[in-house]
Amino acid sequence: LEGLKYANSHEWVKHEGSVATIGITAHAQEHLGEVVFVELPEENTSVSKEKNFGAVESVKATSEILSPISGEVIEVNKKLTESPGLINSSPYEDGWMIKVKPSSPAELESLMGPKEYTKFCEDEDAAH
Amino acid sequence: MHVHCSMKCLTDLEMRSPRTLEVWRLGTVNYLKSLKIQDKLVSERKAHQIPDTLLSLQHPPTYTLGKRRTDHNLLIPQSELTKIGAELHYTQRGGDITFHGPHQAILYPIISLRGIGYGARNYVETLERSMIEFASMYGVKARPGNKCETGVWVGDRKIGAIGVRISSGITSHGLAFNIDPDMKYFEHIVPCGIADKEVTSLKRETDDLLPSEEVVHEQLITCFAKAFSYDDVVWKEDPAVILDTKDNE
Repeated sequence: LEGLKYANSHEWVKHEGSVATIGITAHAQEHLGEVVFVELPEENTSVSKEKNFGAVESVKATSEILSPISGEVIEVNKKLTESPGLINSSPYEDGWMIKVKPSSPAELESLMGPKEYTKFCEDEDAAH
Repeated sequence: MHVHCSMKCLTDLEMRSPRTLEVWRLGTVNYLKSLKIQDKLVSERKAHQIPDTLLSLQHPPTYTLGKRRTDHNLLIPQSELTKIGAELHYTQRGGDITFHGPHQAILYPIISLRGIGYGARNYVETLERSMIEFASMYGVKARPGNKCETGVWVGDRKIGAIGVRISSGITSHGLAFNIDPDMKYFEHIVPCGIADKEVTSLKRETDDLLPSEEVVHEQLITCFAKAFSYDDVVWKEDPAVILDTKDNE
């Protein structure tokens, strides 16, 4: 998707003004299977680049989610408690996970753009 | 979020060199102790200090809950647990409530999913395949669960359960296969949160004579190693090495 940046651990970031929205990609949710549970941080806590901030559960496996950037959590998607499957059906829109106020906007520069990410996934899938 | 990664600096080398699995057979281990051992191994595996490692063990009677904390599926009050000789633990694994006890074979693989290019789904499916293959050694036709019923089934009866945690691409927790546990313990829970299905065991499903537990565990381990295509299996001899985690409490 245009306008998004991607981490090589399959999270996406959408930076709009002073807010960055974070979620996991379509590629990630496909390799997870149906999400039945999402664990998210509290608002006003902080997240750090490449450190885990939550977890998703699918097929009896809980997988940690890593934050692509550092900052303060200003909003959490409460809909995911009732409807964790939104991550599968709408990974980039209704399935967003947290909104963050970035502490180091420069971190966004080191993430991948859409074309790079697509190629990254293709390389991964091909290698296995 | 771990899906599967080609860590470009390691990819070629890791992909083509022989893959080794180190196996520790630990006998009966208290649940909390096994969590400590796993935490230590996960850190070591993440830091490339150890190869893919498999723990083979049993627990004393223990009920466990997953991250969703579905304790409404425990049907007796927690205060009754000591009376029946069981403990209860809340864990970070996926999955619902389950029971672990003597004569149930447990495998805790601490492996790097990056090394094999697996995501959660593939990993869980391969764990299921390991158990199905193992059951077939005794003429038992097991199958994976239907959607949302992860685990291994014989007809409508559950014989093997799975609950896994993936942290930075390293697995912990794993699978439990019923050899001949005391089935009464399962009556105090809604096993895995699935209300209308039975739990079964290898003893109940096969007409074959079961060999010693040591042999049975070895067979299960071999099925795991085969399903995950390991080239070498190293059987570690001295469990004390790993059981001696610094217990400072």
